[in-house]
Amino acid sequence: MNPIIEVRDLRKIFHSRGRKIIAVDDVSFDIMEGEIFGMIGPNGAGKSTIFSMLTTLVKPTSGSIKVAGFDVYKQDGKIRPVIGIVPQKLSLYPDLTAKENLELMGMLYDVPKNLMEERIEYYLKLVGLSSHANRYTGGFSGGMKQRLSVICAVLHDPQIIFWDEPTTGLDPQTRQSIWKLAKKFNSEGKTLVFTTHYMEEANNFCDRVAIMNLGKLVALDAPQSLKEKAGSDNLEDVFISLTGAEVRD
Amino acid sequence: MTVKNELRHAWIITVKEIRQLSRKKALMVPLFLFPIIMIIFFGYGMGGTVKNAPILIVNDDTGTDSASLIQEIGAYTSSYNGNPMFTVTYTRDMSQAEAESKIDAGIYKAVLLIPHDYSERLIKNDDVTLTLLTDASDPTTSGIIISFMQQLMSRPGPVSLDIPNIYGNLEYLDFLTPAVIALTIFMGSVATTGSAIAGEKEDGTIVRILMTPVSRRSVILGKTIYQLILQLARAVILILAAYFLVGFHMNGSWLLVALVLTIFTLGGVGMGIVMSTRVDDMESFFQLNLLFTLPSMFITGVFFPLSSIPDWMRYIAYCLPLTYANDAMRTIMIKGQGLSAISTDLIILTLFALITFSSGVHLFRREA
Ligand SMILES: Nc1ncnc2c1ncn2[C@@H]1O[C@H](COP(=O)(O)OP(=O)(O)OP(=O)(O)O)[C@@H](O)[C@H]1O
Ligand SMILES: [Mg+2]
Repeated sequence: MNPIIEVRDLRKIFHSRGRKIIAVDDVSFDIMEGEIFGMIGPNGAGKSTIFSMLTTLVKPTSGSIKVAGFDVYKQDGKIRPVIGIVPQKLSLYPDLTAKENLELMGMLYDVPKNLMEERIEYYLKLVGLSSHANRYTGGFSGGMKQRLSVICAVLHDPQIIFWDEPTTGLDPQTRQSIWKLAKKFNSEGKTLVFTTHYMEEANNFCDRVAIMNLGKLVALDAPQSLKEKAGSDNLEDVFISLTGAEVRD
Repeated sequence: MTVKNELRHAWIITVKEIRQLSRKKALMVPLFLFPIIMIIFFGYGMGGTVKNAPILIVNDDTGTDSASLIQEIGAYTSSYNGNPMFTVTYTRDMSQAEAESKIDAGIYKAVLLIPHDYSERLIKNDDVTLTLLTDASDPTTSGIIISFMQQLMSRPGPVSLDIPNIYGNLEYLDFLTPAVIALTIFMGSVATTGSAIAGEKEDGTIVRILMTPVSRRSVILGKTIYQLILQLARAVILILAAYFLVGFHMNGSWLLVALVLTIFTLGGVGMGIVMSTRVDDMESFFQLNLLFTLPSMFITGVFFPLSSIPDWMRYIAYCLPLTYANDAMRTIMIKGQGLSAISTDLIILTLFALITFSSGVHLFRREA
């Protein structure tokens, strides 16, 4: 398999109110074409920051990133059309309807009108939101927002989907349907990169899992290998033993 | 990324903003109704005092009677409350047209014209008329000068005072309207631009826009086009309201009004962008906004002429862009003057727009 994302010696330092925060500390890894890649780690470990850098939203402090063969510093304009992003913070315009939110994204990604309408209809049906197409998203539940948010990210048919905490705060039914959707995208050949706080999801759905702690990458392997290496039969134990038991703030 | 593509993206953003506005019914009240209410309320006159108002006396008479009249005006003014009300300058041989142009240029608040046969007619007990020209774009000062002169002339005798209205029948409302429009456009463009961006930061929607292939330039352009449409629409509604509800007179060029307002809106949008990059949410934006726009409202001469405020306040006013917008709007709408009369104002407003806009774009691009 070929790497579709190559990360080398990546660092990100934030300066906030006179404090220096090393959010990402010298991280290197590859993500393979067509895999489902999971990132886990305690709150503040740097997962979302890595996402922001991979998706060209935030410039790294140092290090290099290639996405689909393009350099994030010089070719961010080439990267954006081939990736889709579902941010951790579900950001939809509350005073626009579901359909208007989708159309806005489709147009900004330059999806031809006919194709766009076709895809919107198809995806709304797929995630069960067809009957809510003309409702303002301000009144949507968390699950509805998450499903709509995904469609916003895939209307332009990206090769890679970045999905930051897709299932946090959702009921088991919605989580199931989200993973079904993820599997479906993956079976169509899309590479999936996501973060989660649910160990069983990382265990069940990921080809490989990266464990982050305090900005560092502390382990990266298939869930099975991670467990074998640690001599444990569940991923949560591996996670706790690698990242410590104390609560972060 | 071609220019056509950028423009198309910008227009998508513009349409989005307009659509969102059309759904925020609660926003319509401050945007369209407040300024109209302001005009109606303040339209009912306001008093004030005058000091050191420059007036010019054109004395074409060589007799002794005019000399004593002049002395009387001079003596009265110097003894008034320790502060002279007028600073009097004397000249002769000046036509009424030339005197009017001096007022237009803002050199004098009033000109008193004494005809060459003043003394001669007084001796013969013939009727004689003095002409008093005043700066009607400053009705507070003019009103005080006029009432003073009328008092002076009210003694029995053949002398009467003629006060031609250079700019038509002017009232406080006419003085107020142009500046209220400028104020409205300024506060509106800063607040709506800034709060929209701050709100989009707060709920994360701006990030979603910024991660599409659309350039930040297009995003800003789209928001700017929207603001131009919105603010000019507000100006039109305000002018129509002032015309139909309280009988405002427009004496100048609509095209120039549009030009001034367009440049000023750009400055306001730029300022809104700059301020929004300094905050993370709407609430902090409104705090910051209050700090920057409220002083403009009270010391730039929207509600009373700059000549009636203390010096230190006037110096602050000269640092605020709204002062120049007010002046330009009054010069066009009341005095009916052309481009040359507002060139200084326009240059300053253009500089304001250039500075805020380019720093806004710079800060916005560096962000997130
Ligand atoms: N824009 C920023 N300015 C300053 N500090 C930041 C910024 N973004 C993130 N950080 C800091 O960087 C660190 C990593 O944050 P990040 O959001 O990447 O963590 P995370 O792994 O996604 O956490 P979570 O699981 O809670 O989503 C944290 O300490 C955070 O406070
Ligand atoms: Mg995160």
